[in-house]
Amino acid sequence: MRILCFLKAILDPEAPPGAIRFPGTVESGDVATVLGPFEGNALELSVQLAEGSSGSFTAVAMGDASQDVALRKALALGAERAVRVDLAPGFQDPLAVARRLQAAAQAVGGADVYVFGRQAGDWDMGVTAGLFAGLMDLPFVPLVQQAELEGGSLRLRREIAGGYEESLRTPPLVWSVTNGPGTLMRLPKVKDVMLANRKPIDVLQAADVEPTLVLAEIEQAQVTRQGRMITGEAAAQAAGLAAELRRFLVTGGGN
Amino acid sequence: MRIAVLARLADVGEAPVREAMGLMAALGGEAQSLILAPAAVAAVAALGEVRLGVHPGLEDPDPEMTYGAALRLIGDSRPDLLLLPEGQLFEMIGARLAGHFGMSAVRDVDEVRAEGGEILLRKGAYGGKANVRLRARAGVVAGLRAGAFPAADVGPQTPVVEEISSLPEGGQERRTVRDTSGDDLGRAKVIVSGGRGLGSREGYEGLRPLAGLLGASLGASRAAVDEGWASPSQQVGITGRKVAPELYLAIGISGASQHLSGMSGSRLVIAVNRDEHAPIFEAADIGVVADWYQIWPHLQKALEG
Ligand SMILES: Cc1cc2nc3c(=O)[nH]c(=O)nc-3n(C[C@H](O)[C@H](O)[C@H](O)COP(=O)(O)OP(=O)(O)OC[C@H]3O[C@@H](n4cnc5c(N)ncnc54)[C@H](O)[C@@H]3O)c2cc1C
Ligand SMILES: Nc1ncnc2c1ncn2[C@@H]1O[C@H](COP(=O)(O)O)[C@@H](O)[C@H]1O
Repeated sequence: MRILCFLKAILDPEAPPGAIRFPGTVESGDVATVLGPFEGNALELSVQLAEGSSGSFTAVAMGDASQDVALRKALALGAERAVRVDLAPGFQDPLAVARRLQAAAQAVGGADVYVFGRQAGDWDMGVTAGLFAGLMDLPFVPLVQQAELEGGSLRLRREIAGGYEESLRTPPLVWSVTNGPGTLMRLPKVKDVMLANRKPIDVLQAADVEPTLVLAEIEQAQVTRQGRMITGEAAAQAAGLAAELRRFLVTGGGN
Repeated sequence: MRIAVLARLADVGEAPVREAMGLMAALGGEAQSLILAPAAVAAVAALGEVRLGVHPGLEDPDPEMTYGAALRLIGDSRPDLLLLPEGQLFEMIGARLAGHFGMSAVRDVDEVRAEGGEILLRKGAYGGKANVRLRARAGVVAGLRAGAFPAADVGPQTPVVEEISSLPEGGQERRTVRDTSGDDLGRAKVIVSGGRGLGSREGYEGLRPLAGLLGASLGASRAAVDEGWASPSQQVGITGRKVAPELYLAIGISGASQHLSGMSGSRLVIAVNRDEHAPIFEAADIGVVADWYQIWPHLQKALEG
């Protein structure tokens, strides 16, 4: 089975509050760029599927050289090929992203399964996989949690509201992958990380696509509350907390 | 401008559909309401002038069948702006329809404005740390955040029913498994949520007595779900449930912005975390810097006594 796995590296989504700021632009200081967590889930399922089908997977990331961290992870976990579609960083129209990824997919010879993450934690668009499926006119399975090979078909478990659905589907297919115990990314071996650092990354030119959606404005969102602390020894803190919870239960949430 | 709303009542209920209709009315232009239904026409009559695509397969929707049904219902009348309430339907087919029609797609939109023939859409980014406005220069499919738009006041009318036949085949041997553990999070008055800081499945399970004492539902951070301590339907956050209880108790949760996005509508937030610099304290009304396992025995005694 031929698998194409689309990865994106993003500014560390767990950077402390204030480390990334948005004064009309994105200011990220020295926040590191890391493989996005849902892309890690997509990578894990690609590895599982490649192993299970004695097939292979190719990893594709689009952006500047900061994307290489994502591709190196994929190489360390067994990707046979890593491709970077060269593009300046910054907000991209997701339709243009999907069109360029479609061009890249064709350039590397296509695949049976196209694996995406559910949502990249920079712009939180969560639409690229669906757009790609629509452009390619291929079936789309959203929020895959588990995939098992059965003959030439795949038994896929996908998240639905309040549970999951399992069914058997036949490639070619496009999926998005969500998080769960079955998609937790494995850690590469140190030796494989070293080897991956010496493997080549193929760089392709991005297809020329006019964006239809552009970033007009970006601003800081406010979430902070003026909280107070319950201090003291553990027993005193517990007593203070118990008093707050009792007060809440008695007033039914009102003040 | 041609605008359409596409929804499945069984997915989101009536309110988000009315909200999408309200937005259509505010934007003006040629408007159309398209509803996908299993069979029951009655509930739809309350929604005014709608076109109803009916197929029994839409009861328990398969993505392929749903996509096929939507394409039939939309037909040749591709709108410039296609609105879907956020939810399962958008997840399955929103962006895919956009790709098919060569439109872009934006989800979780909480504001839409028309400006000089273009459409401005507002949404969150960077896990909710930022808000962005995106300008659509051509057709766009938008997923609307529930509750963000005033509902349209529409009167009952008989829908135009379109029987949809011969849908594409979906997955084979389909089996749906309900997981009731996160069922009531959306409606819960009290939520006790646990994170990676609880250290183990036993640690997470140890929240049950507390939840019992408070009449609370159990939520979780993504990390707790990844560890397999909680089910995905218990995940609170930007890619989990959006909750708004009277009390949200976060235990061993760092408070990454992606988690906060899901619970910031809570009335009272109490956080227990042993790291005084944990960002959860910035989003809490009451904070306790402590090791949960030092606190809980005392707390249990105090609450049970
Ligand atoms: C696109 C995207 C979407 C995401 N969606 C979500 C989402 O929907 N929901 C979500 O939750 N996350 C989401 N995340 C992940 C998020 O960024 C964090 O990784 C996650 O919330 C961390 O979970 P946590 O707080 O349980 O774990 P950690 O960050 O590991 O925090 C554990 C905390 O427990 C504390 N602790 C440790 N031991 C104890 C103890 N004994 N007593 C008290 N405290 C203790 C530690 O100080 C620490 O603060 C998303 C990320 C991305 C990029
Ligand atoms: N620049 C990119 N390069 C490679 N894959 C991408 C890129 N942008 C998005 N994707 C894929 O699309 C998924 C969803 O991204 P998004 O729609 O931006 O949230 C990601 O998890 C990736 O799998």
